[in-house]
Amino acid sequence: MAKARKSRGESLLLRYLVLGGWALVCLLPILWFLSIGFRPRTEVITPRPIYWPSFSLDAWRLLISDWPIAQYLRNSVVAVAGSVVIDLALAIPAAYALARYDFKGREDIGFYILSTRMMAPAIVAVPIFFLFKTLGLLNSVWALMLIYAAINLSLVTWIIRSYMLDIPKELEDAARTDGAGDLTILREIIVPACLPGIITAAVIAAIFAINEFLFTLLIASTSKAYTMSVALANFTGGSDGIIYNAIALVSFIAFVPILILVILIQKHLSRGLTMGAVKG
Amino acid sequence: MASIHLQNLEKRYGAFVGVQNMSLEIADEEFLVLLGPSGCGKTTTMRMIAGLEVPTDGKIVIGGEEVNEVDARDRDVAMVFQGYALYPNMSIYENIRFPLRMRKIPASEHDARIRQAADMVELGAFLDRKPGALSGGQRQRAALARAVVRQPQVFLMDEPLSNLDAKLRQSMRVQIKHMQRQLKVTTVYVTHDQIEAMTLADRIVIMNKGAIQQVGTPDQIYSDPANTFVAGFIGSPPMNLIEGTAQNGRFTAPGVSAPCLDHVRGKVTLGVRPEDCQVGGDNVQGMVYGVEPTGDTTYLTVRAGEKMIEVKAARDYRSDIDQPVGITFDPAHLYFFGEDGQRIRGAA
Ligand SMILES: Nc1ncnc2c1ncn2[C@@H]1O[C@H](COP(=O)(O)OP(=O)(O)OP(=O)(O)O)[C@@H](O)[C@H]1O
Ligand SMILES: [Mg+2]
Repeated sequence: MAKARKSRGESLLLRYLVLGGWALVCLLPILWFLSIGFRPRTEVITPRPIYWPSFSLDAWRLLISDWPIAQYLRNSVVAVAGSVVIDLALAIPAAYALARYDFKGREDIGFYILSTRMMAPAIVAVPIFFLFKTLGLLNSVWALMLIYAAINLSLVTWIIRSYMLDIPKELEDAARTDGAGDLTILREIIVPACLPGIITAAVIAAIFAINEFLFTLLIASTSKAYTMSVALANFTGGSDGIIYNAIALVSFIAFVPILILVILIQKHLSRGLTMGAVKG
Repeated sequence: MASIHLQNLEKRYGAFVGVQNMSLEIADEEFLVLLGPSGCGKTTTMRMIAGLEVPTDGKIVIGGEEVNEVDARDRDVAMVFQGYALYPNMSIYENIRFPLRMRKIPASEHDARIRQAADMVELGAFLDRKPGALSGGQRQRAALARAVVRQPQVFLMDEPLSNLDAKLRQSMRVQIKHMQRQLKVTTVYVTHDQIEAMTLADRIVIMNKGAIQQVGTPDQIYSDPANTFVAGFIGSPPMNLIEGTAQNGRFTAPGVSAPCLDHVRGKVTLGVRPEDCQVGGDNVQGMVYGVEPTGDTTYLTVRAGEKMIEVKAARDYRSDIDQPVGITFDPAHLYFFGEDGQRIRGAA
């Protein structure tokens, strides 16, 4: 008895050690970035190892005074949030139709929608560029919003549909006999029941949109429409050469929203989908 | 408040027949119970009446109006689903309120109605909970409350008490019956429980493999079964069915001999209920196979040839196994069925 408990304690310790070690390996680059961002420029590029780093807010000052970070952040937020809203508005009804209505070729349509994701983006980059140019939409945040929405729409539809398929049909039958119409059922029964799926899809779409680079670079031709992802790539620190500590700090700032989104998604992914709806 | 007519109703799934050629007249304010083994088409029949399943063939008339083309939401029926189908994101209060909101019942009436329905199913203390935080029996009662909170044309209840303990089931049974009489709503009720069927029903419909076997009052179903299926399905323990041959007014099977009418002849099945058998005598000559005292009665199983015959014996009857024993049948309560399983009428 005592022995069994001891060995369980040991295996628990071992587990913590292994997992902790792995977490450190994963986190090290991020922590390193952070530490560089808060150290003076000279110290970052010195060839000799430093055991006691000193602390400095130089990089912060530089970013705030010389670089339109607020504008880039705002562009990112507007384009990403707008694209997610568009995606949800289109995907929820589409997913419902694909999940519930019986019509010919339903499975095929579902697959076609997803197959738009299978193409390499570079193939459509040039046509898209000319399309947006002709429409006069270059160099605008609204164009980015549209393109992000288009890129993610199929995936969002597919994820939400798979959640909707898991909702017992009896729920809708009950609502219908209770006197609800299609739209009421969608709004009051289906959407709340697959809310975790909707949130998951929205977060995944947001992450993809934040990281989107190719089309953003093409369409946002000047810094007016740059989002964080492109601005970051263009950022070298200006006329004074490469300023590593500022670059590290910008990278970290770009990383924070994604971190928050991933934490959000985690909470919802583990939640039961239709707890207590049916027997069992 | 409406009568329901089913005319040659049929539901096929590909080649499989879920419900076949079902014709039934359910009177206004009637309490009709559908009884049958699992998979016999009870739920399918209910879903067709509710408008959730499109019949392959046949007509459904509710309150004199053909409703085949009427959408489920406009049929004005309330249904208790076998799987409860509570809305998981809403509290029990909101669940029960949902039909009131959908049917545009004035908001001022909601609260009183909801509390009344919840009290009826003894769920008043759970109104704030989500379905996920209730036990199976509580969920089932919430589903029942949601159905009875308004006064529809028709109640459809698919095994609404199946998950409750014996005591609660008994009290809910009485409540349902009382409420149905009070509201005068035509009710179709599915159950596996014979006691429930017997006590609740104005008429019982026995189904098997998608087809109606017999329709009648509980009394008729019990004392006048139309075929071997109904005879063997109703009663607990059910009727003894003994296959044998009849000629010259005598039925015989290994270890069994009983009188029958002259027109009963050939290969037939004799049916006799355990309570119409008495220990002693010589209709059956067999061996005691088992004795089961249940408190208020004792069940005796007699082996005659290969056949086991159940007998309801006196409460204090006791015997060791493998003792020879004789049984007498009550000659007034013998049933004979032909080779096709149908009852041969006029038997003594
Ligand atoms: N969508 C479907 N496709 C194919 N077969 C079906 C479908 N729905 C029901 N069935 C079949 O129809 C038959 C009747 O089903 P139904 O649900 O009406 O049975 P039931 O009498 O309610 O049984 P239980 O007492 O177990 O609830 C079953 O054999 C079932 O397998
Ligand atoms: Mg059923």
